This record gives sequence, C-alpha cells and structure tokens, in this order.
Amino acid sequence: MCTWRRLFALLLLLAATPAAAFAQVSLGGGVTVGGEVTATFGAHDDEPHSNRADGEKPAYFNYTDYAHNALRMFRVSLSGMWQPASQFAFLVEVRSENLDRVTPYAMYARVRPWKKLPLDFQAGRIPSVFGAYVRRYGTSDNPLIGVPLVYQYLTSLRPDAIPASADGLLFYRGLGWQVGPPIYPVGDKTQKPGVPLMTAYQWDTGVQGHFGGRLVQGAVAITSGTLANPRVDDDNDGRQWSGRVSFTPVVGLVLAASASQGEFLTRQITDTYNALLNQDNHYTQRGLGLDAEYSRGYWIVRGELIDSRWNLPKINNPPIDRPLHATGGFVEGTYRLSARYYVAGRADRLTFTRILGKSQPASAPGTWTPWDAPVNRVELGGGVKLTRHLTGRGVLQYNWREGPVQFIATKKFYSSAQLSFWF
Amino acid sequence: MALRSESAANGSIRGRVEVRAERTANTRPDTSGLGMAASREGTDRRRSVVYLESAPQSAFETREQPRARMDQRNEQFVPHLLAITAGTWVDFPNDDRTYHSVFSLSKFNSFDLGRYAAGRTKSIRFQSPGIVRVFCDIHPNMSAFILVFAHRYFAVTDEDGRYRLENVPPGTYTVTVWNETVSGRGDLPARIVTIGDNGAEVDADFRIQ
Repeated sequence: MCTWRRLFALLLLLAATPAAAFAQVSLGGGVTVGGEVTATFGAHDDEPHSNRADGEKPAYFNYTDYAHNALRMFRVSLSGMWQPASQFAFLVEVRSENLDRVTPYAMYARVRPWKKLPLDFQAGRIPSVFGAYVRRYGTSDNPLIGVPLVYQYLTSLRPDAIPASADGLLFYRGLGWQVGPPIYPVGDKTQKPGVPLMTAYQWDTGVQGHFGGRLVQGAVAITSGTLANPRVDDDNDGRQWSGRVSFTPVVGLVLAASASQGEFLTRQITDTYNALLNQDNHYTQRGLGLDAEYSRGYWIVRGELIDSRWNLPKINNPPIDRPLHATGGFVEGTYRLSARYYVAGRADRLTFTRILGKSQPASAPGTWTPWDAPVNRVELGGGVKLTRHLTGRGVLQYNWREGPVQFIATKKFYSSAQLSFWF
Repeated sequence: MALRSESAANGSIRGRVEVRAERTANTRPDTSGLGMAASREGTDRRRSVVYLESAPQSAFETREQPRARMDQRNEQFVPHLLAITAGTWVDFPNDDRTYHSVFSLSKFNSFDLGRYAAGRTKSIRFQSPGIVRVFCDIHPNMSAFILVFAHRYFAVTDEDGRYRLENVPPGTYTVTVWNETVSGRGDLPARIVTIGDNGAEVDADFRIQ
C-alpha cells in the first residue's frame, strides 16, 4: 500500500509541474524525448480463495503476465528520437511495469529513401503492422483502462511447452495465467503464463516497409517471433511475415485487413517431434484480422476482429488432431461531452474451436469442448482531462467465462481508476 | 495610466522584442508510427505580444465584430500566436488531409470543435479576456496561443521581433510583453512609457532571456 501511495505522490508531483516545462521536450541536435506515467488502481484478483474471507475465487480476467494485472498497474515509459537528417531517425522506447525490470519496447531505425515518396523502412524492435490497437496501447489514445481480450487475455497455449493430449489442454481451460508441467510435459519445465492471440505488451524484432498513400496504405514486416510471442532472440529459426492493407475512402474512415504467419513452437519442441515422427512439420501461428475506425464530430467508433490458428504436434491420445483456432473481436465507442469530459464503452468476445477430450473437462468428459473457455467482457467508463497532460479515467468492467472451468470464478465485476500523465 | 488632454494628438509605441529562444522541434517521439512524420519547421517561439496593461476608455468601445483566423496546416496551427479583442470570432479552417480536433481547456474560453475534415471551418467567439491555449486532440504536437484582450492596444511582433502600437492617446502607460517562454511567470517584462501631447513616437525595446 505504501508503494502505491508513493507512486500516486510521484504522479501528482509530475502533474503539478507546469505543463509548458514538458511540452515538446527538445534537447537540440535533433533529439526529442517524451514519455508517459500511468498509475492504475483496482482491487486484487489473485488471492487463493481459501485465503479470502469471502471465499471468492480469483478470475484473472485482466492478467497480462504472471502477477501483472492491467487494472492494477504502475507503468512508466520513456521514449526518445534522434533525427540527424529529415529522412533518417532512430527511435527508442523503454517501459517498466510495477517498477519491475526496464524493457526496451521499441528500438529501431527509420529511413525514408526518397524524400517525396511516402515509403518508409524500419529495422530493429519495431511496432507490429498487424491490427490497429497494438500501436495505440500505451498512448494517450485509449479511452478505457482495460485492454481488448484479443490483445491481453492469456490463453492456455505456450510456445515453449505443450500438452501431450487434448485432455491436457482442456485441463487448463481458463487458467492461462499460469500453465505448464506436469500437465504440459513437453518443453520448458516451469509454470508460466500462456499467450494471448496477439500481445500488446511486447513488440517483435525485424524489418518492415510501409507505404503511406492517400487512399491506400500498406505495410509488410518480417520478424523473428509471432503475434502471440514477439521476440528479440529467435527461438525457432523461423520467421514471421505479416502485413496490413488499409483503405481510407474518406477522411475519418479507415478499413483494414491484416495477415501473418510464423513459426510458433520453440526449436526444441519442433525438433524433438519431427525426429520422433520422422516428419518435417512446421508448427505455426497464423493470424487474420480486420479492423475499422470511423470518427466524426465528437464520436469515434473502432472495431477489430482477429482469428488466430495454431498447429500443435499430435502426441498422445486423445490427440489434438486439428488446428486450434481462437477468434476474438471488440467494438469500442467514445463520445466527447466537452473539451474536458468523455464517455466510452467496449464490448469484447473471445471464442475457441472445439476439441474432443477423453477425461476432460472433468464435469463433462468425452464431449466436444472449446479448447479454452470463451470469454466475454463489457467495459464502460469515462475520463476527464484534468490538464492537457494529465487525464483521469474510471471504468466498470464485467467479465464472464463460459464453463466448465476449474479453480477459478466464471464471472467477475471490476472497477478501476487511472491517472495518466504524458509529456 | 494617466491621461492628458483629450484634444492632443495620438502617438505610437514601437520597438523590438528580442527573445533568446530556439524553434522547438515540433515532434514528440512517435515510436508506434510506421513511417516518417510530416516534415515540419517547428514552432517559432520568438513571436511575442506587446500590449498596454491599461488603456484609455475609448479603447473599450466596441465598433465592430471582427474575425480572425487560425489555420491547421501541415499539422501545425498557423499562426502559432494570435492576439484578438474580446468578442472576436476566430475561424479554424482545416487545410490538412487528415482530421483535426481543436479544443481548449482554458478557464474562461474552454471549447471543443470536435473532429472535422479538410476544407471545413469551425469558428468560436472568444468572449473573455485571457490566455487561451489551443490544442488538437489527435496530434499532440499541435499547440497555439490566443491572447484575448479587453482593448485594442496590442500587437504581435514580426519575425524580427518588431512591433508597433498605433494611435495611442497621450498619457503614461505600462507596456508589457508576453511570450510563451515566460508564460506563467508573475512578472512579465514591462516598461513605463509616456506619450506626449504632440503625439510623438516612443521607443520601447525588450529582451527576454
């Protein structure tokens, strides 16, 4: 609690500093810096139910990593750009969540070879070209506090450990915040979180090209990880290609489609099973996405739909004998009441294809069951611009899982408040 | 302010405001961008507004409903600094290909124009004297200042820092300079000047560090 008080005091101190001192911080020599400090306050959601007086089970709907909750987080990000010439820039951004380790979120070079042609290349740890929300996470362009399920919700899949059978996968329905051995006997021997369809919390490493036409924009990238598991180091010698094409027929309307495919499982797992089965299979994640945005006057409406398909090796019976799909999407609306106040809402859904277990799920063994528990979320909230650089947000969020699940709650209501200061 | 003979000729106050400030690089690092931001010259923070702290009664007489203009061009407000009298309508035309969303949180002149596209203009009437900071909700690098005065004795400096206050009745005045680099300070640079009955031209130079 003392830590949270200190963090809150730090944020107020920053907010009290004259905004003019922060606006457009230019260090000269083509160097500019910026940043954001965000403190989010919400209730704990990780106490084992036996430890809680009310006996309520935890639900982990908003977990982004082990012990990281999107509705209860202190985040600091610092970004810098060095632009020695008009057609070349080097950008870096580091982030820290809950004052844990500092992570280089972005670190890349940006080049525009021809001055009058809007064709740019970026190389390094780069923003994803797939989808839309991923590039506005962590910016002031977020009306709500929660992160859309497709970008945040931890499924029970891991790239470095896999279940031996459909029963193993079904055992972990709804428990993606921490999965692993002994239910996942193959690969890494520690319990870790699963992956979301596409993570908003980490960017991939590689190269990309982007064409910014007036009507049509396009981007392609080759990177070392996948949507769900972006990486700096490559753990499987595979590359992901990804691309996005967007169409802007009129100002304010953007329609876009994205696609990606890349090696998902680690080299250790792939090699083991290819040798065992005398095969040369690729265990990939393939993503397909649609997104749209329409804004006019005081309204902004955004929506995204993402389908992810993973291939896993068939090991023991009952086998995971078909690709695993997860499909999620959201619709988000924002209405500005005045220069200072706005209201917003988002509806989310995440579904999974069915597989056939033998002993799982425990309450209905031997039935075709979604390989992870489908999740729904409704989040309503609003915000106030306390100053140009300080925004307060508050949300109410309701989540529910479609059972059967073990050990955790199927429904949960959360409230959360946030102060966000950017410069 | 001490006024002299009502029948005396009016004079003028002129001078130069030297501001030791660099153009700001108008670019907040956009690490989530997929391409190079539009090339911009950066904000010229050397422009200032010179004004009389208090003005003769005649300066407050309203004779017209003037209009002024602040463009949104190449993701910048042009001009970056505008000075107007209270009651002036300011047009905000969008000359860019993208949306802009102009707003201000200023205490007495808060407004929100919403998103509007290229070729469209929205307007606001500024009723209350004061300093209005103007922003775009979509482009965090965009900002501008509008200084709203109760009287007409003010001038925005040119690119060399020169200004001229015309048609000032004889009297003793406090001439004050506002510049964004000293905005928020309690003690803005000021000088006392006197316009004689012969309506002479008075020099008043300023230097802002």
